[in-house]
Amino acid sequence: MFRIIPETNINFIGVRKIAFVISLALIAVGMFALVTVWTGSANLGIDFSGGMMAYIAFEQPVSIEEMRAVLTTDFPEAQITELKGFEKPNAFIIKTKSPKSEGEGQSHLDTIEGMLSERFAGNPFEVISEHIIGPAVGETLRKDAQKAVLFSLLGIILYIWIRFDFRSGIAATIATFHDVLAVLGIMLLLGYEFDLLLVTALLTLAGYSLTDTVVVFDRIRENLKKWRAKGEFATAVNRSINEVLSRTFNTSITVLFVVVSLFFLGGEVLRTFALALTLGVIVGTYSSIFVASPIVVEWEARRPQRFK
Amino acid sequence: MSKHNWRIGLTAVLIILSCVAFWHTFNLWTMSADEKAEMQENNPGELLRLQQKAIRLGLDLQGGIHVVLRVKMEELDPAAKEDAVERAIQIIRNRVDGLGVAEPVILKQGSDRIIVDLPGYTDADRAEELIGQTALLEFKLLETIDNANLLMTKLDSVIHAYELVRTGADTLQPTEPTETETETAAADSAETTEDDILAELMGDSVSATTDDPFAFDEEFGLDKNEKPLTSRVIDVLRRDRTGTSWPVYVIAKQDRELVNRWLELPEVKKIMPIDVVFNWSTRSEIRNSREVYELYLVKRKVQFLGKFLESISLGQDSYGGFTVDFQLSGDGAARFAQLTGANIDKPLAIVIDNKVESAPFINSKIRRNGQITMGGSATMKDVRNLEIVLKAGALPAPVEIIEKNVVGATLGADSIKKGFYACLLGLLIVMVYIGVYYRLSGLIADIGLVFNIFFLLSILAALGATLTMPGIAGIILTIGISVDANILIFERIREELRTGKTVRASIDAGYDRAFVAIFDSHVTTLITAGALFLLGSGPIKGFAVTLFWGVLISLYTAYIITRQVFNIRKAYKSLSI
Repeated sequence: MFRIIPETNINFIGVRKIAFVISLALIAVGMFALVTVWTGSANLGIDFSGGMMAYIAFEQPVSIEEMRAVLTTDFPEAQITELKGFEKPNAFIIKTKSPKSEGEGQSHLDTIEGMLSERFAGNPFEVISEHIIGPAVGETLRKDAQKAVLFSLLGIILYIWIRFDFRSGIAATIATFHDVLAVLGIMLLLGYEFDLLLVTALLTLAGYSLTDTVVVFDRIRENLKKWRAKGEFATAVNRSINEVLSRTFNTSITVLFVVVSLFFLGGEVLRTFALALTLGVIVGTYSSIFVASPIVVEWEARRPQRFK
Repeated sequence: MSKHNWRIGLTAVLIILSCVAFWHTFNLWTMSADEKAEMQENNPGELLRLQQKAIRLGLDLQGGIHVVLRVKMEELDPAAKEDAVERAIQIIRNRVDGLGVAEPVILKQGSDRIIVDLPGYTDADRAEELIGQTALLEFKLLETIDNANLLMTKLDSVIHAYELVRTGADTLQPTEPTETETETAAADSAETTEDDILAELMGDSVSATTDDPFAFDEEFGLDKNEKPLTSRVIDVLRRDRTGTSWPVYVIAKQDRELVNRWLELPEVKKIMPIDVVFNWSTRSEIRNSREVYELYLVKRKVQFLGKFLESISLGQDSYGGFTVDFQLSGDGAARFAQLTGANIDKPLAIVIDNKVESAPFINSKIRRNGQITMGGSATMKDVRNLEIVLKAGALPAPVEIIEKNVVGATLGADSIKKGFYACLLGLLIVMVYIGVYYRLSGLIADIGLVFNIFFLLSILAALGATLTMPGIAGIILTIGISVDANILIFERIREELRTGKTVRASIDAGYDRAFVAIFDSHVTTLITAGALFLLGSGPIKGFAVTLFWGVLISLYTAYIITRQVFNIRKAYKSLSI
């Protein structure tokens, strides 16, 4: 039998106070990030702020500094990304945000194309794609995403309440929120923008984090039936976490294989997505051990009740 | 044993169904570019059928046009609001069908938004024009040429007077002459006098143009000045069987703006008869290697409304020309019969949004079934356009385009390749890891994993789902979830083995006990996927679809299929796990 994680008896529950401090810090960062998103001061992608995005490819090499020099006078906030390893060489993504109207996005596009063809007269470029989004669309997407998250969380609390008990449902929900907030906070701190793919990633990791938590809860429930008479609650929980540790490690590592290969090979478009998922797997694994179960332990210590 | 038989049977049925569902996708994806081009040439219908039954690739993968429209509900009265968006979707669908896009996606979003995705289509302007047209479809008669000529003469003098006053000089220019306008004017002028128009010019109207701008000023300057409008007319297009002309004026594209300005003058509006109006043609066309528009003088009275048209189809007449065949609803048939009976040999303008799509002659009295014969010069595109316009009719409310996204296919090809390789590599690493970690059992799990992906792709094909980048991400996540189920089972079997149980008992206990955890974790993921599908939009939805089915299939492959493999041998001495 090949094992990476040997049979363990680590006192995870014993260090829960330290874990809580770390988690609170992560949540604080996440909450701060959430507020900046809410108020619109975060680095919102054009999905949410409205604006225009153009992929262009030049015939001859152009340096990103030159591009910037051309655009900074009129569009100081324009984001220019060089696409390395793109099918076409000398390709760039240019993004500008236009919080006012769709027309503004179109006029940005026209102006930028004009400026570039003037500055790089001997170096024609091809507009591979253009993308104009009105701010109203971002509003709809934001509302849709909020609704979807709210309802899925309600559904999950309800399901775990029925299958386990109410406090487990709450603990699992807190752990899930913890993971989503932590990753959101880290991503925004790293300077990534809040766009639709990041939202998709956050929702994905919410699902992943929950799976992880539920598996541990399931083992706790099973062990409590055997342990109730012999030991205290916290010991049973700690034992359960240790028992499924090998599974937790293997699951996390296999998902990591996939998201990391997506990060390195999936191309520019999916990099943010893959990074958020990678962080999510790490934080989600941590939270199923150090957040969800310890909350139930604390809850039990204060108000003991039967675990179904 | 019978308990296991139904599982084998069910799995066999699923595999067969999946093969059937995936067949077209397999065919299409394994086709080389040359083969596709050849099929497009020889058997375009078959190719379209293949494309419709195969897994569609989203805009982000194959390029195309994405448009979000908002139906301006606030401009509607309450009664019309109820199904305005649905009706608009129906009409847009009719219009888009005419574009020949393999799989357009037209969806309602929120209360007043419509998403239109045209994968593989790149003519953004045409798509936008067609989708956004709010027009009312009307049928109108043309003014007679005699009345039209009288009107043109009057208009000429009014515009001439206006230009005199405006320029304040005797030697006036008809307009602020831009370079193109002067050139055009010069070019047109060679033979565009009123006499020419009245002369029988019809088909052979090639103008001998001159490039020398001074030639015009010297020879025709006076004409040009005194007949500013008429002199812009290159040709009179329409003559019927008896040789009578109809007021369909051919005007160079460059002059359109100017003519419009003149027609908008208060002085002009004052003398325009109340019962007629000038309408341009919907599109420009190339005539004698010059881009021209047609200007129709139509009677204001609406003779017939597009809403009476019941069915439209394309056909061919006995001479091989294209026709657009139509059927009228009961109420409309009587009115149309009356209209056509009274106006035989006259042109009937098909007007959409105050633009003339076409003006076919009425050949005979039309009751229920009619046929519009397009001239021999009409291209398939012209016929299709007429068909689309007739079919589409009018949108119930104006729409505005609030988002437009033109994605190049180059980007798509790039994304496909990278996403595919990332997927493949991730999958391979996972399979190798599981195989090394859990030995023979791991290989069984790998088989389950392959089945999982195969079933998922088949279901996507059967659902006619569109695969987008987040969708691919969903597939990748499914790999993780599916593996998780097997890991749970195997870890459990190992635990059972450690307690000293027999191999057989450990397998059974492992599967049974792990099932609870698998079930709970899968259901919670299903809840998430369901909420995302029902309430999310766009890429979130695509992600949710793949995740939902992936999780469901994972439950089946991990629990039923791999267990079946373990059951093949009934008695084990040892287990490679």
